[in-house]
Parts: sequence; structure tokens; C-alpha cells
Amino acid sequence: MEEIVFWIREVGASLAYVISIIFGLIGLVGLYRFPDAWSRLQTSSITSTTSILSMLLGTLIMSPNWEMAFRILIILGFFMISSPTGSHIIARFLWQKNIPHWKPEEGLKPGDNE
Amino acid sequence: MSQFFIQLMPWIMLAFGSVSLLRLILGPTLGDRLVALNVLSGLALGFLVIQGVLQGRALYLDVALVYDIFGFLGFLALAHFLKKKDE
Repeated sequence: MEEIVFWIREVGASLAYVISIIFGLIGLVGLYRFPDAWSRLQTSSITSTTSILSMLLGTLIMSPNWEMAFRILIILGFFMISSPTGSHIIARFLWQKNIPHWKPEEGLKPGDNE
Repeated sequence: MSQFFIQLMPWIMLAFGSVSLLRLILGPTLGDRLVALNVLSGLALGFLVIQGVLQGRALYLDVALVYDIFGFLGFLALAHFLKKKDE
């Protein structure tokens, strides 16, 4: 029984960290590749929600005692509320400032590259 | 295996944070800077939590919670101020 719990903790935590690294890399690449603030908002949400959330889940699995586990649980709950709200605040700020959307260059229709 | 990852994660968080800090400095418009600031706040929270679990101290987790709350409030105040500025 002890061994099964040990292996579940080991594999679950490693999987959570690997997912966190992969999604963090995807989000940061998008932060540099995308042309305007609207589309960067989407990848930043990927980094801040999926990557940080799965990292917190990994630390929750690995946490050595109960007091740290409950503290991580509280942090996780607050982060689930605060991070999407932050993204919403940015989106409303961009909307009210009338920041223009990115458009393709002139004379280039969708499907021209094929 | 997971010990290796838990030793690696603070450095990964630092690297991600420095990359998004570069976006915060470079960002051409105000919206890009706000996006980068949001990412940076989340990454700093993750760094504090994983450092606390790595060293086995619950104090870091309290600091991380308070940092998250105040970062969120500061972010809200900053967006509100920037919105009011031009009107």
C-alpha cells in the first residue's frame, strides 16, 4: 500500500511539472510571436492559468505535511479567482481604450499562402 | 524523479519570469505591458510556492498568499488609474 501511494505521488507530481513546463513555454512563445495585445492576452492566460495551476497541483501532491497542503489549497482557490479576473480587467481596459485589432496586410487574402 | 523536477522548477520559473519581464520592458503599447505584468505576477507566485515546498517552510506560503492578494489589488488599481487618465 505504501509503495502504491509513493508511486502515485511520484508520477503525478512529475506529470504535473512536465505539463507546467510545456504550457509555460507555449505561452511565452505566443507572447513574442503574436502581433497585438488582444491575441497576446490569450497566450498569457494559458501561461498564468494552466502552467501555474498545474505547478500548484504538483506541489500539492508533493507537499510534506497537512498544514502546507491546506495553505497551497487556499492559494490555489484564490488564484483560480484572481487570474481570470485579471485577464478580464485587461480585456475591458483594451475595449474601453478602443485599441485597434490586428489586420492582415493589404492585398493578402486568407489562403494566399497555399 | 519528482525530486529532480522540484529542484529544477524554481530555475524554470526564474527563466520564464525574466522572459516576460523583457516583454514588460519592450512592449510597444500599454496593453502589452499589462499582459506581461499579469504573467509576471503569476510566475512570482509560483516561484514563492515552490521555494516554500522545497525548503519545507510554511512561512513562504503565507508570503505567497499575501503577495497574490496585494498583486491583484495593485493590478486592479493600476488598470483603473490608466483608464481614468485620458478622460
